Amino acid sequence: MPLLQIENLRKSFRTSSTLGGSGARLVAVNDVSFTLEQGETLGLVGESGCGKSTTGKLIMQLQKADQGRVLFNDTDLTTLSARQMRPFRRQIQMIFQDPFSSLNPRMTVSSILSEPLIIHKLVPARQIRDRVIELLEKVGLTAEHEQRYSHEFSGGQRQRIGIARALAVEPQLIIADEPVSALDLSVQAQILNLLQELQQQHNLSYLFIAHDLAVIEHVSDRIAVMYLGNIVELTDAETLYKNPRHPYTEALLNAVPVADPDHPRPAPLSGEIPSPVNPPSGCYFHPRCPYADQLCREHSPPLTDSGDKHLVACHHSEQVGQYLIRRR
Amino acid sequence: MPPRLVVENLRSYFFTRSGLVKAVDDVSFTINSGETLALVGESGCGKSMTALSLLRLLPEPGRVVGGEIRLDDRDLLHLPDLEMRRIRGNQISMIFQEPMTSLNPVLQIGEQIAEVLRLHKGSTSPQALEQAADLLTQVGISDPGRRLRDYPHQLSGGQRQRVMIAIALACDPKLLIADEPTTALDVTIQAQIMDLLQKLKEERQMTTLLITHDLGVVASNADRLAVMYAGQIVETGSVVQLFENPLHPYTQGLLNCIPRPGHKGLLPTIPGQLPSLREHHDGCLFIDRCDAPSPPCGHEQMQLKEHKPGHWVRCWRY
Ligand SMILES: Nc1ncnc2c1ncn2[C@@H]1O[C@H](COP(=O)(O)OP(=O)(O)OP(=O)(O)O)[C@@H](O)[C@H]1O
Ligand SMILES: Nc1ncnc2c1ncn2[C@@H]1O[C@H](COP(=O)(O)OP(=O)(O)OP(=O)(O)O)[C@@H](O)[C@H]1O
Ligand SMILES: [Mg+2]
Ligand SMILES: [Mg+2]
Repeated sequence: MPLLQIENLRKSFRTSSTLGGSGARLVAVNDVSFTLEQGETLGLVGESGCGKSTTGKLIMQLQKADQGRVLFNDTDLTTLSARQMRPFRRQIQMIFQDPFSSLNPRMTVSSILSEPLIIHKLVPARQIRDRVIELLEKVGLTAEHEQRYSHEFSGGQRQRIGIARALAVEPQLIIADEPVSALDLSVQAQILNLLQELQQQHNLSYLFIAHDLAVIEHVSDRIAVMYLGNIVELTDAETLYKNPRHPYTEALLNAVPVADPDHPRPAPLSGEIPSPVNPPSGCYFHPRCPYADQLCREHSPPLTDSGDKHLVACHHSEQVGQYLIRRR
Repeated sequence: MPPRLVVENLRSYFFTRSGLVKAVDDVSFTINSGETLALVGESGCGKSMTALSLLRLLPEPGRVVGGEIRLDDRDLLHLPDLEMRRIRGNQISMIFQEPMTSLNPVLQIGEQIAEVLRLHKGSTSPQALEQAADLLTQVGISDPGRRLRDYPHQLSGGQRQRVMIAIALACDPKLLIADEPTTALDVTIQAQIMDLLQKLKEERQMTTLLITHDLGVVASNADRLAVMYAGQIVETGSVVQLFENPLHPYTQGLLNCIPRPGHKGLLPTIPGQLPSLREHHDGCLFIDRCDAPSPPCGHEQMQLKEHKPGHWVRCWRY
């Protein structure tokens, strides 16, 4: 039994009206299903605005899904009352994409980190301060920072406080939404090594959202690629990089800037960015896809297993790879 | 031609309840017109505070305590407030590291962009909204007519970041300070934004200070690079010079951390962490993490020294 199983999640929002027009519905997450095993890391990548953070918040029950189920250890979280949900709030932690808004500005770092320890009675009162300092040191900060407020830190330091807070309660599942996006390479490596160590010690599971494809490749066992509210490809990390089967994945891999001044600048994806209010007909990616034909304009391809548990939603998946720039 | 921006021996300190924090402690660099200088360095080393000092927007209890900042030969640190305000937004604009620190949560984003256009370009209201929609399209936001009426909380992290980029570009700045402008963007949209900045650089000679930790972004977009450590610039030179021949042990360590595809297991790091910015240090600030410190490193600070034409380093080895 997987630790987490998501079935057909959907979430839409009422949009702002246009001038003189009326509001409509924006589908942020269309129909998303996946599983996550204990001790596994599932990477989640996709275009900005495609629904990654919303998916994370739906799992956490911070937003109510329009439809679908979230099974955690076989309990459907979408059916629980706030009180029934409380124990799960410790087992599932989220590292938020925006640390600035997710840390209480009126609390010192030491109270931010000790609060969950007290609420969940995780350590005896005498040991709280030691545990707080231990957490700070784990993320590369020191006791010197303990009495500061969150606005008195740099962006990357704030991000690390968010990580320390999630680790404080020793959860089973961490939904990490761009957890290292503000960190330089060496501190980033320290944090990723820490997350990996904790995973080995405690059999932790991660849903790891990031746009940095080198980071995603390093941490993930499997990777899901999202485009405009849907998963378009899902397979193990190695296969995805060597043998992408969806044209959006191929475009993503080609757009990674290389840390070498002699290398050409990466090209953006051509074509108009689609609107989640009025998505294109057929396959949502067809207006930007070099492989698209009539079939793609008319019919939306379902996510299917193309062999070896390599899931892909593309009518022409066997052709994909022609444009891939091989760098290794 | 003289450089567009000159920063000399800048020092910015925080006078906190529990003592002094020397966030920026001797930073010097220049940027020529139409040039992009990338600024990299360990989290907490003072990059954002350097940027905010340039705009005189350092938060309390921070203060610039020394140095000089000149934009086209105007001394920014001693301009009257009113004039500084005119320069901010008209000639210099900034993309802030965290969008929510600068977006107004109760104003529609169209209003926030249009306000800049009205103030700095004298656009009329309907014109300004049209131009705002056009800017949203340029930063890759679909359905701009509808999006203008969104509040910041209705946007994804990367969409907010792009709205902030649109606001910064709205006034056609001569100098753009971009503090981690693409941290929330996937690589294809990142490429689109970097192309847009490149175009402004070529067409309008826009000068850019680009703070980023993404060395891929540095390599493909910057002309020169400055490396910062614990409040100081420790190395500067052309991008090619620094990538091909890094001199300072911190720069060497950083480049060594670039992930190799397919690598599993633990990632390389630079063991140790930034020294406390509170204490006074006599010697080199990197000494505790250096693999080959020599006798003068412990008690004397080295100044930036030109090792090869245009390539400067602060280290006793050279
Ligand atoms: N209000 C404050 N009081 C005390 N120290 C502060 C305050 N604000 C920032 N600092 C400290 O100043 C130093 C420099 O901060 P700055 O934001 O410039 O770092 P940075 O290089 O931009 O880091 P990052 O890459 O993480 O964004 C940090 O060590 C930070 O903790
Ligand atoms: N509270 C909300 N009200 C209205 N629309 C919303 C809300 N939250 C998200 N959306 C919309 O849902 C879509 C998906 O947003 P989400 O934050 O999940 O994207 P994301 O994949 O995390 O993007 P990014 O990589 O930029 O963070 C976006 O188009 C966004 O505008
Ligand atoms: Mg997001
Ligand atoms: Mg910063």
